[in-house]
Amino acid sequence: MAVEISTGLIALASGLAIAGSAFAAAWAEKEIGVAAIGAMAEKEELFGKGLILTVIPETIVIFGLVIAYLILGLAK
Amino acid sequence: MLRPYEMSSVIITGPKNLQETIIKELHNLKILHIIEHSKNEFADIGRPLESANRLSEILVKVRALIAALNIKKQEIKFELKKSFLEIESTARKLTEELNINLEELKKTEELISKNESIKQELEILKDINAPLESFAPYKSLAYFTGYLKDENKALALKEELLKATQKLMLFHCLVKKRCFIVLFIDSKIKDAVSNILRKANFSPVSFVNIGNLKGNASANFKKIEEETAKLQKKKGEIKAKIVNLGKDYKDFLIASDDFLSEQLEKAEAPLKFAATPSSFLIKGWIPTDDLSKSIDRLNKITHNKIFVHFESAKKEDKVPVKLKNPKYAKAFEFFMDLYTLPTYKEIDPTFIMFLTYPLLFGFMLGDFGYGLTTLILFMILKRLMPKAKNFLNILIFSSLSTMFFGLLFGEFFGFEEIGSFYLPHILSRVHDINGLMFLALVVGIIHINLGLLIGFINEYKSHGFRTGLYAKGSWFIFEIWLVFVVWLFNFTNFTLSTKILILLLTLIVPLYMLYKGEGIRGIIEIPSIFSNTLSYARLMAIGLSSVVLALIINDSAEQFFHKGGFLVLIGVLILVIGHVINIMLGLLGSFLHSLRLHYVEFFTKFFHGGAKKYQPFGLKIQ
Repeated sequence: MAVEISTGLIALASGLAIAGSAFAAAWAEKEIGVAAIGAMAEKEELFGKGLILTVIPETIVIFGLVIAYLILGLAK
Repeated sequence: MLRPYEMSSVIITGPKNLQETIIKELHNLKILHIIEHSKNEFADIGRPLESANRLSEILVKVRALIAALNIKKQEIKFELKKSFLEIESTARKLTEELNINLEELKKTEELISKNESIKQELEILKDINAPLESFAPYKSLAYFTGYLKDENKALALKEELLKATQKLMLFHCLVKKRCFIVLFIDSKIKDAVSNILRKANFSPVSFVNIGNLKGNASANFKKIEEETAKLQKKKGEIKAKIVNLGKDYKDFLIASDDFLSEQLEKAEAPLKFAATPSSFLIKGWIPTDDLSKSIDRLNKITHNKIFVHFESAKKEDKVPVKLKNPKYAKAFEFFMDLYTLPTYKEIDPTFIMFLTYPLLFGFMLGDFGYGLTTLILFMILKRLMPKAKNFLNILIFSSLSTMFFGLLFGEFFGFEEIGSFYLPHILSRVHDINGLMFLALVVGIIHINLGLLIGFINEYKSHGFRTGLYAKGSWFIFEIWLVFVVWLFNFTNFTLSTKILILLLTLIVPLYMLYKGEGIRGIIEIPSIFSNTLSYARLMAIGLSSVVLALIINDSAEQFFHKGGFLVLIGVLILVIGHVINIMLGLLGSFLHSLRLHYVEFFTKFFHGGAKKYQPFGLKIQ
């Protein structure tokens, strides 16, 4: 299956969009997760809030996904 | 539904001599949420009942016993003779017995550890042909015991020593592959000998524990070993005794703990009351439905000697909240406990969550097979863990919704066709990603607008129509403006500059309203409406990743099936393990993200929360 260079670049670009946003989300979640565990050590009831706070930055990777998807649209 | 139980504030006053009766009755009724009084110029807080001191003393004893006997709290059926004297005397007896045993245990353990150290020393001396009493202090003799680094050096050392003195006695043997020596010499040449020894890399060992032993080392070793075995047996017996004590008194101790805690709660209740030297005053909240019944009861048992004042909640009151929901939606109150309870005046979103949470969950997991599996799993778990009932009920509802969406998407464990039968579907998630994304965003827009609508109702009820319109209605206007913009650019023939002019002029309306309603914060929040909507794209993303994973699992298993033979087994294994993992991932993802969409995107549009939970006096907190 021969793929044109331009298509390959588009695929690469959308991959980069995911990679970058996933990395950012992971980083943010790590920071929040650490803080949440710290807070839980003090007060165990904070588990629910900690869990929610930890998944908040996941939106970043969703944005990345949307952008990646839009970039892929260029290939058609 | 949508509103918590109606509450009435209650004030009960009466003479001090009725205080105990009232406390007892309130504890029985389990209906009054007491507001703690804080000391002011009019009244101090009450004093605990006389029995409180003694009660807490016994309770401390009982709890110490529970801790010492390593008793785990559990549901028990035990008829406790409810007299303090009985509990106290039993607890004291038990404490004494336990202490005796613990003391004995400690002594035995000390003896065992002493024997262990003697044993270690005897083990070294076992092969030395010298009686143990010779390792005692002498006047004219000195002796050295210890290891030589090189095992062949013993003879060389002897020759060296013979040069210094003729009066010596040297034993040597191998202990654990090291050369052990015992050397007796005249004490006068002790320093000279110790110099020689140092040159021979001698490391001394001292024997401090065998001082009282006499005779042959190996015979002593055997004796000590026997003694230790006896002690070990004794230790085991004592431990068993303590375990038995715990078993025998487990029910009694747990029942006493419960009973005493309850009594202590009653005895210490006056600490929450306002009190004067001869009267008391209790402030609190009672659900309005139970009000007249409870007041009648209190009046009856005190022969109308108390005064009860009640009124319905006022606007500025901080009312404790008891959520009111139909039985089937009750499980979802769990999410409110996890977050924060809605205040008395605002709409309780539990019922709305009951409707929307499983929908979002099912949208993400969306596979008939997965839904069926998790449904069965949670049904079984519900039997096994009745305590997690609420949580599991939520998951059961979500599983049902997953099955429903599985039918819509036409998916069964990732397959879109079974055999040659093609599953009917309304939208195929794998093949129509565009449609899925569009649908996810539409769900988002509906959900967010629902939130704004509830927010409007909340504001309208608490601050009137104008505030409601400015704070929440402005968002609707803003959305209408967005639609208008799309229409303007796509369906009209104005020049570009006119279009932009119209755009900017009309933008003033929603901006002004937002500014009036929510201040500068509202303006700053404008981009969040886009990011919030976009956030619903996760409905597509998580669902898609789940389907694609299922497809990959199915494909790789299929390759093994085609090869036939025992490779079919590997295929089955891949299917089972793969789908189990995918279900777990899907459950976790769908659960958290559906919850997050509610907490972050939905609740921020209307929810304030922060109310205290209604906890009536006498009701055990679980």
